[in-house]
Amino acid sequence: MERALRFDVTYPHPPARVWRVITTREHLASWLMPNDFEAKVGHRFQFRSKPVGGWDGIVNCEVLELVPERKMVLTWTSNVIDTKLTFLLEPEGTGSRLTLLHTGFKGMKGVMTSFILGMGWKGMVNTGIPNLITRLEQEGRL
Amino acid sequence: MQNALPSDVFRAVSDPTRRQMLELLGVGERTADELAQPFDMSQPAVSQHLRVLRDAGLVNVRKEGRHRVYSLDPQPLREVFDWAQYFEGFWRKKLSALGRELDRTR
Repeated sequence: MERALRFDVTYPHPPARVWRVITTREHLASWLMPNDFEAKVGHRFQFRSKPVGGWDGIVNCEVLELVPERKMVLTWTSNVIDTKLTFLLEPEGTGSRLTLLHTGFKGMKGVMTSFILGMGWKGMVNTGIPNLITRLEQEGRL
Repeated sequence: MQNALPSDVFRAVSDPTRRQMLELLGVGERTADELAQPFDMSQPAVSQHLRVLRDAGLVNVRKEGRHRVYSLDPQPLREVFDWAQYFEGFWRKKLSALGRELDRTR
């Protein structure tokens, strides 16, 4: 299973302003999550939020690509996923079109199974959940 | 049960007894008595576990004569394992927040 998410959004603001809001630490903190982002290729940083479900609340990122007012690519890695995030920006009328691509979702079931195993829930390894998941997958029910 | 949050499902599978119950139900339908059999546990305790599983949407129950018959519903497990689906909702919210941040910014 490999999945990608794609969102196309238009905003009534010029690309320069959208670019500023997606590449400035304070703005990112306001609309996305608190972070130590720097607009520099190769910069490694984290987004930090409250843990939800099995996610520990931390996203590890690296800036892979920066084309001012056009494109930003980040790695997006946490204790549950290892993915990539791409922001594409283009003018549309007097505003902007933002395309967000979240890619690289693959083998999530396997990742989550090992994640649950690694959580140290007592007895998890010895009980049937991993077997159950494997069987349900084989039967096409999961 | 359609709206069970992944965290409910995590809670449901965090207990060894409930995991064993799910494992039994993975093989096939079971009555409450059959589900209680492997465990040294009072009937109310068994019922409590089954209620948590039902609230998480992991099991369905139907009446057959005097018995309640339980079956496994794997859908919530699927949702927990499908992180792409989780991020669908996450990004929709964040992109709206981005729009509001833009409106506030000069």
